[in-house]
Order: sequence, then C-alpha cells, then structure tokens
Amino acid sequence: MIRINADKPGLLLALIAVQTFCAAFFLWDVMSDAFPYGLSAFNNLHLTIEAIAAFSLILAVLFEIRYLMALLRHTAHLKRQVSLAAGAFHEIMQEHFRRWNLTPAEQDVAGFTVKGMSITEIAGLRGSAEGTIKSHLSSIYHKAGVTGRGTLLSLLIDDLVETPLVPADEERAQHQA
Amino acid sequence: MMKKFKIWDPFVRIFHWSLVIGFTANALILDEEGQAHIWVGYAIVALIVARILWGFVGPRSARFAAFTPNRKQVIGQISDIATRRRSTHLGHSPLGALMIFNIIGSILIIGVTGYMMTTNAFWGVEWVEEAHEIFVGWAEISVVLHIAAVVIESLRTGVNLPRAMVTGVKTVPADVILKE
Repeated sequence: MIRINADKPGLLLALIAVQTFCAAFFLWDVMSDAFPYGLSAFNNLHLTIEAIAAFSLILAVLFEIRYLMALLRHTAHLKRQVSLAAGAFHEIMQEHFRRWNLTPAEQDVAGFTVKGMSITEIAGLRGSAEGTIKSHLSSIYHKAGVTGRGTLLSLLIDDLVETPLVPADEERAQHQA
Repeated sequence: MMKKFKIWDPFVRIFHWSLVIGFTANALILDEEGQAHIWVGYAIVALIVARILWGFVGPRSARFAAFTPNRKQVIGQISDIATRRRSTHLGHSPLGALMIFNIIGSILIIGVTGYMMTTNAFWGVEWVEEAHEIFVGWAEISVVLHIAAVVIESLRTGVNLPRAMVTGVKTVPADVILKE
C-alpha cells in the first residue's frame, strides 16, 4: 500500500511561510543597507554575501512551491487509487506526461481520461466547459502523437507490462499451433 | 450563463478600500515624521479594531468563524491551483483568509509599535523602530502577494474578485464548482 502522508504538505506549507517571512526580512535588510551607496555597496563582501543568501532563499522558496504543487497533483490523482499497482502505473503516466510537456491542466485531464471518464464527467470534476476539455484532449493527443484514447492507453500500458504487444491475430495463430 | 451571489456587505467593502487608501498614504506618500502620518495611523488601527469586532457580530460572510480554514481546506485549494481546476469559494477562500489574518496581524503590530514611538517610555528605542519598519516591509510584500493572488485566482476561477470587492456581488460562471 502506498500511504499518502497527510502531514507532508502541511509541514512544507509552514516551511514556505516561515522562509518567505525570512526572505522578505533579509531582502529588506540588504536593500536598506545598500540603498545609500547604490551599486558600489556590493564592493563590500559582507553585504554581497548577504545579498546572495537572500536571493538563494527566494529561489529555494520558489522551488519548494513547485515541489508542493507537484506533490499535490500527485496526491490528487492517487486519492481514490491507493494501491501499489495504481502507484506504479501513475509513475509511468507522469513520466510520459512530463516527456510530452503536458501543462498541469492537461495532466489532470489526461489522468481522468486514462481512468475512463467521459468528457462530461471530467468537465464536472474540473468545473469547466466540455469544449475546454475537448480542446485539452486534442492537445494531449497531439503532443502524445496518438489518434485517440485507445492508442493513448495502449502507449501507457505497453510500458507497464514491459513486453511488446502481440497483435491479436498472431496470438490466435500461436494458440492454434 | 452566470450565477450572481451577494457576498460582501458594505462595511467589509468600505473597510477594505479605506485600508488600501490609509496604508498607501502612510507607507508611500506621507512624511514619516509628520503629524498626518500619526493621525492616519490612528485611523487605520480604528478600522482594524472595527473589522475585528465585525468579525464576531457581522453577517455570516464577514465572520471569522465562517472563514477560518482548517489545514485540509488550505491544501484543497492549493491542489485545485496545482491542477488548474475551476472551483471557487463563495466567501473568503482558505488562502485568502490566511492573508487576511496575516495583514490584520501585521498592521496591528505596525500600529502598536508606531504608537510606542510617540510615547516617552519608548521614544528612540531601537527594537521598537526596527520592528515597525520590518513589519511595514512585510506588509508591503504581503500586499504585492495579495494582488498577485487575486489576479491569478480571478483568471483560474473565472470570478472577477476585484469587482466583487467593489460591488459586493460575485459573478460565477455556471460550470465552475462552488465550495463552502
């Protein structure tokens, strides 16, 4: 069983809040120290390192926000399917979605489609018009280079079973032999 | 097809835009050493105190009890943002509510430390001055984050949030999911 750790996003969220406050403080500190001297203030090694620290703290906060978003997308998809197989399948799905450069909205729609939901159902779940879902779908199929839901699914399942798909009539021939 | 909901009472709207004017005046326009800065500061603190009282006796959408979010609701809203789902809250959203508490708290600290600087006991005391300035900086960054979040959330949910804070009415597209 894959356990979704409910505490993790909460802790990460608290960390982001604290670091944002600290980053704001350091940024304010560096700017008020440097302001009277203009750019020449950065000849001072101490101030320059402070500035770099403040800047990298801001970058770290942005990375954490990105990670939090990815984590919550993952949780949103796993919410109703917490089995190991669903987890493995989800990994493969995500890998493909990344390679195809799907947007977050397209990833969400693609996830629902793979689970067999209709356009109407997806529109209801995401709170958007059916036309929007249709245009997401055609963009997904285009990026994946497939013609429709069937071929999209077979691409994903192909990877999961790790063996080339045997065409149906060939399989029948083997059985008869 | 749009659905309309009357959400914000006149007090909440007048409070919001008065605070905008007062904070902008004191942070960016007025002379920090002048009398006007002090009087605007008193007015802002009075506004905040009135808002806190209104949070207990006002109509439902203005009450703290109605919009104080739990952790699940906060994470739920970020999940909706992460997956670009179109859902909206009729009252304050969970993240919006956190920003309200942050701004109310920060402004109170600014008001109290600002007042202390005018008293004999604390005049010229360094930590008071420092705290006043730090929280002004923090409040300014919070305002920038607040405005950015309002724009981003208006685009995601299809609800024009700034207009709702002017007219008091949220206009929600028919297919958007409504959350408590």
